Amino acid sequence: MTLVSQTTEGDGQNVPLRLLKTYPMEIILAALVLFLILMAPGFASTANILNVLRTVAMLGIIAFGMTAVIISGEIDLSVGAGVALAGCIVAWFADAYTDAIGGWSAVILGFAVALTVGFSLGYLTGRFRQWFNVPTFITTLALFAALRGVANLITGGFPLSTFPAGFDFLGGGYLFGIPFPVYIFALTFAAMHFLMKYTSFGREVYAVGGNMEAARLSGIDIWKVKALTLGLTGALTAISGTLIASQIGAGTGTTATGMELDVIAAVIIGGTSLFGGKGRIWGTLIGVLFLGCISNGMTLMNVSEYWQYVVRGGIILGAVLLNQVLERVR
Amino acid sequence: MTYSQPRTDAAQGRLAFRSVTKRYGPTVALSEFTHEFAPGRVHALMGKNGSGKSTLIKLLAGVTEPTSGTISVNGRDQAFTSPHDAFDAGIVTVHQELSLVPELSVGENIFLGRLPHTRRAGFRVVDWKGLHRRAAELLSDMGLTIDSRKPVSALSVGQQQVVEIVKAMSFNPSILLLDEPTSALASKEVKQLFALIERLRARGVTMIYITHRMSELFEIADTCTVIRDGHYIGAVEMRATSPAEIVGMMFGDAARTTRPPRQAIDRVKPLLEVRGLTRAGHFNDVSFDLYRGEILGIAGLLGSGRTELMRAIFGADRIDAGTVHLEGRSMTGATPSQMRAAGLGYTPENRKEVGLVQSLPTADNLCMASLGPIARNGLISRRREQPHVDRQIVDLHIKCGDPELPVSSLSGGNQQKVVIGKWLNTAPSVMFFDEPSRGVDVQAKRQIFDIIWQKASEGLSSIFVSTELEEVLEVADRILVMHHGSVVAEVDPTRTDLTQLYGLCMEGASK
Repeated sequence: MTLVSQTTEGDGQNVPLRLLKTYPMEIILAALVLFLILMAPGFASTANILNVLRTVAMLGIIAFGMTAVIISGEIDLSVGAGVALAGCIVAWFADAYTDAIGGWSAVILGFAVALTVGFSLGYLTGRFRQWFNVPTFITTLALFAALRGVANLITGGFPLSTFPAGFDFLGGGYLFGIPFPVYIFALTFAAMHFLMKYTSFGREVYAVGGNMEAARLSGIDIWKVKALTLGLTGALTAISGTLIASQIGAGTGTTATGMELDVIAAVIIGGTSLFGGKGRIWGTLIGVLFLGCISNGMTLMNVSEYWQYVVRGGIILGAVLLNQVLERVR
Repeated sequence: MTYSQPRTDAAQGRLAFRSVTKRYGPTVALSEFTHEFAPGRVHALMGKNGSGKSTLIKLLAGVTEPTSGTISVNGRDQAFTSPHDAFDAGIVTVHQELSLVPELSVGENIFLGRLPHTRRAGFRVVDWKGLHRRAAELLSDMGLTIDSRKPVSALSVGQQQVVEIVKAMSFNPSILLLDEPTSALASKEVKQLFALIERLRARGVTMIYITHRMSELFEIADTCTVIRDGHYIGAVEMRATSPAEIVGMMFGDAARTTRPPRQAIDRVKPLLEVRGLTRAGHFNDVSFDLYRGEILGIAGLLGSGRTELMRAIFGADRIDAGTVHLEGRSMTGATPSQMRAAGLGYTPENRKEVGLVQSLPTADNLCMASLGPIARNGLISRRREQPHVDRQIVDLHIKCGDPELPVSSLSGGNQQKVVIGKWLNTAPSVMFFDEPSRGVDVQAKRQIFDIIWQKASEGLSSIFVSTELEEVLEVADRILVMHHGSVVAEVDPTRTDLTQLYGLCMEGASK
């Protein structure tokens, strides 16, 4: 904010003010990046930027799905555990079937199973809400606990790391000089942006989240819409989980601990309302990049890990407050 | 504390209005109202919707202040600026909606916000024993056998209403306002309530009783005061009057409404056939036919089951028995999305809450029910939607400025038109209009009626529901009268006047 007031004087004042109202997080992100380029040693190096993008990709793939879930008026707390479970499923298949059907076939089979499990769990979470009136907060809280247990049961508590040669490319490799997960991240962004903006399904998600009863009385199958957004997020979680397993070279039950909070934080920083009905995939992209830059920048500046937690908490609250204030100003 | 003790010195409350006027901006809700309500009697207050009844109650409850004039209690002028002031003057209101907390016990509800306390080991704690003892005293004092420890949710609606009155009486009021206390009650529960009212009357409490049920007046009231269009019309002794006289006072010489010329309706093959439709507790064994191009009015008081019937046919609520056929196809138990696909549209009575998604733009709301047909292969864009948005905005004269702004920025009338436009975009063959004129200005109301007539002449069949009976008489080709969840009469609006229709709505078929 000080940045803006410094650059403006006199009569030009309301143009930046309007910009700040319309693109608050974009401007704050730009300010942050500028600050880090100047203050954080090594932030602007290509290697570091690519590293940030790779980290952000794993989070972002899920966050785009989570945006749809939150817009539809629900929540999914199980994505961190889902990432661990997906990685373990893929690793288990690679471990058990490589001899029988070959390494890559086993990995592909495992990925297909992880994808199906991820989608089904999400979809059923939505249907649980319909059939038994169990809030998704509760169902996914239960899954949050249970899935990590299942992941550890699958691996027997030890990392499974029998992967075919070249598997590490998915999470750790570079294509044309850019980390491979970043392509998946970009693809997911484009697909989700398109889905939410240019399909009738996307419109229905906004309607259901904005006013469930009005949507129902408009003939929209509200439960199907909710179940599908949750299923979609489950599937994206499986994709991210596979990429992470590839990156660390193992499937373990302790991967991605606490990731669900980062994912939800990114969505909220991006301006999506937890009350449902409002939000944009673009905003989540900003939110994800913001979180990635902040934690990378603080690490480079030698800020202690504990302080990083405190700062992240402050940012989440600050972003929501900013959105509320802007809502009133607009 | 004294509030638990029944007062023996007969609580007297003489309530007088002197030239009381209440304006809301340019509209006069109550005009120079002058009347004295004699103490210790049950005064019925009658008037059709919008006559000023609720304004009167609000003034007495201290919710709003009069623009001019004075209200006095026992000869002392009062200037209520808050509900608390009304309380202090001895006036307590039992509102139409129950204000009890269902999860809490009867006793706790009665003393909510003023729980008795006691000291235990130096701590100030709630005196549960004392609370329930006092509650039990109050209940038995009113001749009731309700366990004060029971949660309110375990009681029937009638018992809850009674508890509400007991709660009101625990303040020892001299004047009690009862706003449609029987609207949700079954007849047996009404008896119990009346017994309680008799008891309070014997104790000298002045009661002002609002109801829409004419039969109740003669059973429980001593006098009936009628207001119309904010004016005091008169007060009669119940012993010396008749339902006809009261209805006459309520409507005055209501001029017959003008109807535009309508074309003849071919009543051979029904488009919508409803047979024996029942939803327990809401409506019972309802059968009717709706023909192509016909506007079928449903008249009935609030709570007669009109809205519930339409919601159930549309598939928004479960039905317990009966069948629905649309264009010959069985649609019994269909979901709203199946009904929509079959050609039925429904504009709900509470458009703000469930008719629109307020956070979304007008354009999105207009296309909300027709995303499937507008999209090609599931893909949609503003360019594809634009013709549908523009057509409704032009056809329905929707004043919305920029259709990309949230629909919440529109006026009530325009919002209603957006709801209608949303459904016309689905090219329906049958439309249900539930209270389409509620809360819209006169001009918008005319426009909405014109749309309904216009669409009917193009072959759209509709059901039209309105609390305003004048409107039903004006708009509909044929009228079904609902009373307590049953269809009790079918009338021809060209051969019926307001008084007759109102009588049917209030009394059912019996008179």
